[in-house]
Amino acid sequence: MKRSLYITTLAVLLVGIHAAPARLLAQAPTPPAKKASAIQVLMVTSDEIKLPAEFQISLYENLIQQLEKQGGFQHVYREGDHHADGAADLVVLHSNVRGFKKGNEMARNVTTVTGKTSIDVHCQFTDKDGKSVLERDLNGKVQFFGGNLRATLDFAKKAAKLAHDSFAANPVS
Amino acid sequence: MVLRSMRRATIFLFSILGFTALPSVAQQPAGPNKAVQITGLVGVKTNTSGNLTLENGSLQFASSGAKVSVPIHSVEDVITENDSQRVFRGTLGTLTMFAPYGGGRFLSLFRSKIDTLTIQYRDTDGALHGAIFTMPLGKADPFKKDLVSQGARTSIPMQDDSGSSKAKPEAAKEKKP
Repeated sequence: MKRSLYITTLAVLLVGIHAAPARLLAQAPTPPAKKASAIQVLMVTSDEIKLPAEFQISLYENLIQQLEKQGGFQHVYREGDHHADGAADLVVLHSNVRGFKKGNEMARNVTTVTGKTSIDVHCQFTDKDGKSVLERDLNGKVQFFGGNLRATLDFAKKAAKLAHDSFAANPVS
Repeated sequence: MVLRSMRRATIFLFSILGFTALPSVAQQPAGPNKAVQITGLVGVKTNTSGNLTLENGSLQFASSGAKVSVPIHSVEDVITENDSQRVFRGTLGTLTMFAPYGGGRFLSLFRSKIDTLTIQYRDTDGALHGAIFTMPLGKADPFKKDLVSQGARTSIPMQDDSGSSKAKPEAAKEKKP
């Protein structure tokens, strides 16, 4: 009885040890992308779901504000900016909203545990030619205090940090 | 004697009330719409209150600290929606959170309905900007109508717009707790 228990424990441990590197490989970050001196942010799209206009605009504006705040890029261009055409090493950020739950500020304030607002956004960074260099799913949420639009700020901070860590030519802001 | 003094006091009271009421009636803005700029205008801080006007072919937002003008022909989209906000907000709203016996939670039940006005426009370099304003209930739709009549474009025509009252899209509605 003791022997079989010993063998089972050993087997579980061995399986765990074998599985660990595979998991580590799966979570390994994508290879470091090339550095860029400028970034262009395109208007946030939502193909699959209906996103209120105020959230779309707030995502876009907060992204630009946070990228400028983080530093590391000489220029942060908006969609359609003619100056971006002349930028040599430019990365373009495409953001597509894939999940959205508009919570309820009153419910959050009253109950603390319900009424969460969350936004799931697929971020794709491409080079000037449109070739994808980095893709990541990020989310923004507001769980306790603040209005629903605060979720867009949460997302923007995460996206700006990702862009900064992956592409900023001058990482020290 | 007593009656006379009471009459005098009443006249005095009414005269004071009249003086305080008159300026508020006189200050009713005819043209400008009171609005709060949530985000988007260059050079204006977030959550700045001011007046939105349409003057000389441009949309102007004037607050105590800044005045920003956006040419109406550069406005590519105007959308109105509904929302609600806490009556006690800002610093006072934050302070109420610390009220004892759940007082803050109780006060957060008091909410006022508002209209939101969202615009997209391009600057002289062709760069796309967005701006969000909140306005008193029922003010956004007439303002949008004026904007569109003066040359602004919209992706949602007035009759189909979520607007302030009737047809609200599912996404724009707040879920009940």
